[in-house]
Amino acid sequence: MSTFLWGVLPYLCIASLVGGTIWRYRYDKFGWTTRSSQLYESRLLRIGSPLFHFGILLVFVGHVGGLVIPEAWTEAVGVSEGLYHFNALLFGGLAGVCTLVGILILVYRRRRTGPVFMATTKNDKLMYVFLVAAIVLGLWTTLVSVGAGSEAHNYRETVSPWFRSVFLLQPDVAAMEEAPIQFHVHAIVGMLLFALWPFTRLVHAFTAPLHYLFRPYIVYRSRDARGTGSRASRPGWSGVGTSDRERR
Amino acid sequence: MTERATTASGDRTSVPGPRAPGIDGPASAALLKAGRFFTRWDESADGRAVFREGGRAGDVFYRDRWSHDKVVRSTHGVNCTGSCSWKVYVKDGIITWETQQTDYPSVGPDRPEYEPRGCPRGAAFSWYTYSPTRVRYPYVRGVLLEMYRDAKARLGDPVAAWHEITTDPEKRRRYQSARGKGGLVRASWGEAVEIAAAAHVHTIKEYGPDRVAGFSPIPAMSMVSHCVGTRFIQLIGGVMTSFYDWYADLPVASPQVFGDQTDVPESGDWWDATYLMMWGSNVPVTRTPDAHWMAEVRYRGTKVVTVSPDYADNTKFADEWMPAQAGTDAALAMAMGHVLLKEFFVEREVPFFTDYVRTYTDLPFLIRLDPAEGAYAAGSGDTAAPPSVPGKFLTATDLTAGASPASPPDEDAWKTVLLDEATGQPVFPNGSMGFRYADSGKGRWNLDLDGVRPALTMAGPGAEQVEVLLPAFLEADGSGSVLRRGVPARRVGGHLVTTVFDLMLAQYGVARDGLPGEWPTGYDDVATPYTPAWQAEITGVPAEQCIRVAREFARNSEQSQGRSMIIMGAGICQWFHGDATYRSILSLLILTGCMGRNGGGWAHYVGQEKCRPITGWISLANALDWSRPPRTMIGTAYWYMHTDQWRNDGYSADSLASPLAKGHLAGKHTADTIAESARLGWMPFYPQFGTNPIQVAQDAEAAVEAGTAPSAAAYVAGALHDGTLKASIEDVDAPENWPRTLVLWRSNLMGSSAKGNEYFLRNLLGTHHNVLGSENPVTPRPADVKWHDEAPQGKLDLLLSADFRMTSTTLLSDIVLPAATWYEKHDLSSTDMHPFVHAFTPAIDPPWEAKSDFDLFHLLAQKFSDLAKTHLGTVKDLVSVPLMHDTPGETAQPGGRVVDWRSTGEPGTPGRTMPVFQVVERDYTAIAEKLATVGPLADTLGFTVKNVTFTVAEEAQRLARKNGVMLGGAGDGRPAIDTDEKLAEAILTFSGTTNGHLAVQGFKTLEERVGKKLVDLAEGAEEKRISFADTQVQPVPVITSPEWSGSETGGRRYAPFTVNIERLKPFHTLTGRMHFYLDHDWMLDVGEALPIYRPPLDMHRLFGEPKLGPDGAKQVTVRYLTPHSKWSIHSEYQDNLLMLSLSRGGPTVWMSPQDAGSIDVSDNDWVECTNANGVLVARAIVSHRMPEGVVYVHHAQERTIDVPKSEATGRRGGIHNSVTRLLVKPTHLIGGYAQLSYTFNYLGPTGNQRDMVSTVRKRSQEVTY
Repeated sequence: MSTFLWGVLPYLCIASLVGGTIWRYRYDKFGWTTRSSQLYESRLLRIGSPLFHFGILLVFVGHVGGLVIPEAWTEAVGVSEGLYHFNALLFGGLAGVCTLVGILILVYRRRRTGPVFMATTKNDKLMYVFLVAAIVLGLWTTLVSVGAGSEAHNYRETVSPWFRSVFLLQPDVAAMEEAPIQFHVHAIVGMLLFALWPFTRLVHAFTAPLHYLFRPYIVYRSRDARGTGSRASRPGWSGVGTSDRERR
Repeated sequence: MTERATTASGDRTSVPGPRAPGIDGPASAALLKAGRFFTRWDESADGRAVFREGGRAGDVFYRDRWSHDKVVRSTHGVNCTGSCSWKVYVKDGIITWETQQTDYPSVGPDRPEYEPRGCPRGAAFSWYTYSPTRVRYPYVRGVLLEMYRDAKARLGDPVAAWHEITTDPEKRRRYQSARGKGGLVRASWGEAVEIAAAAHVHTIKEYGPDRVAGFSPIPAMSMVSHCVGTRFIQLIGGVMTSFYDWYADLPVASPQVFGDQTDVPESGDWWDATYLMMWGSNVPVTRTPDAHWMAEVRYRGTKVVTVSPDYADNTKFADEWMPAQAGTDAALAMAMGHVLLKEFFVEREVPFFTDYVRTYTDLPFLIRLDPAEGAYAAGSGDTAAPPSVPGKFLTATDLTAGASPASPPDEDAWKTVLLDEATGQPVFPNGSMGFRYADSGKGRWNLDLDGVRPALTMAGPGAEQVEVLLPAFLEADGSGSVLRRGVPARRVGGHLVTTVFDLMLAQYGVARDGLPGEWPTGYDDVATPYTPAWQAEITGVPAEQCIRVAREFARNSEQSQGRSMIIMGAGICQWFHGDATYRSILSLLILTGCMGRNGGGWAHYVGQEKCRPITGWISLANALDWSRPPRTMIGTAYWYMHTDQWRNDGYSADSLASPLAKGHLAGKHTADTIAESARLGWMPFYPQFGTNPIQVAQDAEAAVEAGTAPSAAAYVAGALHDGTLKASIEDVDAPENWPRTLVLWRSNLMGSSAKGNEYFLRNLLGTHHNVLGSENPVTPRPADVKWHDEAPQGKLDLLLSADFRMTSTTLLSDIVLPAATWYEKHDLSSTDMHPFVHAFTPAIDPPWEAKSDFDLFHLLAQKFSDLAKTHLGTVKDLVSVPLMHDTPGETAQPGGRVVDWRSTGEPGTPGRTMPVFQVVERDYTAIAEKLATVGPLADTLGFTVKNVTFTVAEEAQRLARKNGVMLGGAGDGRPAIDTDEKLAEAILTFSGTTNGHLAVQGFKTLEERVGKKLVDLAEGAEEKRISFADTQVQPVPVITSPEWSGSETGGRRYAPFTVNIERLKPFHTLTGRMHFYLDHDWMLDVGEALPIYRPPLDMHRLFGEPKLGPDGAKQVTVRYLTPHSKWSIHSEYQDNLLMLSLSRGGPTVWMSPQDAGSIDVSDNDWVECTNANGVLVARAIVSHRMPEGVVYVHHAQERTIDVPKSEATGRRGGIHNSVTRLLVKPTHLIGGYAQLSYTFNYLGPTGNQRDMVSTVRKRSQEVTY
């Protein structure tokens, strides 16, 4: 069982995430959207959306810090386990609470605003279940850690090595097994969320238009040099013009 | 961006010196700089745009989205008056959407254009094509279909089967009571048409063709569809009921004043106005594609004034708003008239005005003054002589009778008289009705005064000062009183006479020195009508505003030579006394010389009335090429009688009468006046007689053969006299007099126009209803109409409707046929609002099992003809029709004196004192063949419109070459009209407006009678023939033709009566001029000889409804008005998803905060509106826009959207018309007298509904459905 959960499932999820994203990008570019409901309701959205999004960005940074950077590195620069742990709990907890409050506002808005609810698909509902569960479970691990104080489980000795090992293609199943149950559940839900990711509106995270900030705001696109327009040329149709043009 | 940076931006250096023009500030500049650092791109000099190559793969999506297989020209036949041409887009055989056409021919330089035309409603239409409300298959009521199949299986014959079902009381009850309660099941076209055909054959055989009825309104909105169905009904001898008067859109004042019906300017002519009033017409909402002219003309300096009780949408465009209380507009108009007459006719004479009224109005004509009778005979105060009352027009007969031994020619009774100002001698000038038909009038029917200057007033040396009594209706309860005023008078030929002008001054209370009577002390006289201060008490419009606007209006007209215009509409037209209101407003326009001017005059827009190719349409629709006359019926009287609303009518015609009445209406129930009107040949009524007219024709022929009667008509007159033949109306509830079949197409009778909807359900259809009142045993009962203690329920055997969407009507129908939409057939459209005709073109074939109306009626005609072979064959039919306007029949009853043959003891004379009776042969086996060909009467008799006969034999030949001919049968060798395109072609071919050859011919014919040059109006267009293909290419402007009174010659904007004014062609009235004075007996008796104010009906006094206002507890009684909405056109679009999204949707009632507050209602609460007629459940919209005491329930909110059960009856609450009922004004029934004569949609009683009141209360907010 452990082998499946910590040795096989991660790869299935990665496959789904990567393969699904490629598939979606190829075949559903037009559906690649946030499916924004701002038109229907904006008052709650104005509060809930930034809370959630900035919260989740911090949570993401926290996860990178906790999972990717080995404990040895932080200790090497003189950050003690206690100090690290205190910081992680404080900022992680804060970001987690922001995220949770944000998503609760968004879910409430989605359910209680008629037009928004009408625009909610089954796909959205399923996605919300996993997203909220992942956040709640993440906060749970934090709460347990806070409750335990200095006795708290040091996930940087169990979960993090396992996480890194997955990408080294030598999954350290044993390390993960040692982690307490709350980490297990959070990790499973998290993996499933990523497996689901490409098939939901979460894909918008990959295409946040950050580059807009760095370019002039009007873009003129001329046609490709080849072909006669935006359509691919098809066999049997000769091009426009004469060969003289090519010779130029 | 014109210039590209020559270097890659990474190399750009910042511009030194003063701060360079940045984009958003330093932060964004820094970001941009960072971007440039990492990426190379080509950008514009100002750094705002970047140029890239490729990356346009996404374009494909939009290219596909906006590429279509075809774009088709069509429009919407929805009676909105827009007649907007649209592009309909089709892709993969699916209609995707529509956009506005922009190719209207230009109206010329220096003015805005017609394009683009359209509104959000039209843009939402394509939703219907594939909507859930689309009727996809033929449906028949399940119980009916089962019984029919069973009976047919047993009896083997459709007609016998229909006979069994409809005559077995048990079976009849079963399917009739199922109407409106679902249970429609799919049937095949063949079966549905067979049942319908059997019902028609059965009705004709059993009861008579005049028990077959059809209703389809507004030909202009889709002429071919209207034409083909009407043609079918008329070929089989059925009855087409009218719509214009039935909708109360018809302004009765138009025939009364102009002798013409609704000739109005196109909206492009608003641009020519220099003073523009909107009176009861909410232009931005109800004339959306035309409203721009009104907004734009303000930029020319034109002042815009609105009169409306609420803060209507058009008020925000206005420079001035006159918020007259609902229904009191005539009081305001009378007071404006008072100011105008006083300041512009008496205190100062304006030659532009007086010259105009001398030539074009009846103001100089002489009216006889009769001594007052009865209680009023005694003179008052300072004058010793007994007072007079104005009577009849003085005619040539009055002057010549007895002068020579030979009796004067008949036409002399129709020559009205005026005095020559120079000689003081009486003159009967050209142009009056006496010159219109008589041989002696040839070349003299014109307005040329031959140098005579008519005397406007009798004042001057030798005049007598006479006290006159004039009726007035000053109390809110509508009761009459008498004004004592004075006029100068003279004796002419022994008769005491005065002019209409003198009477007008007396009526309006404009004093002149030395005249007896009681006169206002000044504008501030509150107590004396019709002063500005007096009206302020009634309308709430300040006296100063009334005076100011009246002055501006008249001064503008004086300075601009008649370019003051009043756009008027349903807000004031649809009242019981709407005709009186209209006359008071028209008077302002006529007195100031505005009628017949570009930019001036009335602009009445209520309904898409103008079928520009009128001759072709009306002649083919009425099947005049095969048989004449057709049976046409005044809708209001038809439904008033046949839905038994007359049984619940709370008042007699008496209660409308003036105190000075001579008793012509005394003791008469409204039903009596309808019966009398039919008896005297004034208005039609069908069915005609208790006996099948086929039988009557047979009996008449037998009598003629036996020598007991000289003619069929004389036989009928005799039989009616001796009582062997009874008029149907006299026992309208007897089964033999019920209408039996009703075909509805292009119409939503029960969802839109059926005033007294619940009575329709109960008495006509025999199903569940919400009538709340009961018959009041105290109310007067008619003398001429038999009373049955039990009112019949379920008169109609068959209700057949064809529609493309499910409506209140289809839900009530026995058979529903799936119709093609406006994007699925060929047809023609025109309107009052613009001068073009243009085409409907099918974008797709009708989907599912839908068929065009054209195909439907051809299928029905074929089946009908088949069944007729065994059941009907060829028969003779005796058709009774009234005395018609624009025919010599309108000179049948001189002096407008009522002579009832029944009370004289002598048989009436057909065509003079009673209707015209004519025998028509009908080959019922050849109906389909006749439907598909233009018949031979076109060649032999031609087609006549407004007494101009067009000879069309040559045109019929042309059509035969173009359309081909049919072979075999009744139509052998005749021009084919067997497809909708060919019928459209025929309509255009036979009309002067679309065939220059006919326009020229018509003007030549008219010139002979008028004696003035007219033909040049059309000569330039003689070679122009507008074909159907032309109308598919682009909207085509029509040709000036004698069918209408205005001129488009030389690209001029159309304004009505310009031909009358500029070419001296008479109006089609008694005097040949526009009338202020109407001297028919009934008009005198109701006190409406002159323009007058009549308050809204007092429903408390007449029907026992609660008094207006809150009762202090739970309910408030208010005026219940049903104006048109922004989100629908009649019932169309109110169920359209897109329009529902733009509005609150479902039934709503707009209330003022005061009224809502008085019954504790907040916005969006459910309320119930009730009165004796029924109940409406709706949500309240509480808005400051609304004045206190008035609610708006937008017209045609149907029972298909969000209609819950009512607390009042426990049944599903009704529609807007559940709370209305029919009220018939007897003076609308007058006929046989010059302009007061019948023609279809020209004159008839209006189905007005504005006088309704309703009690509103809050209901439980829990609603169930």
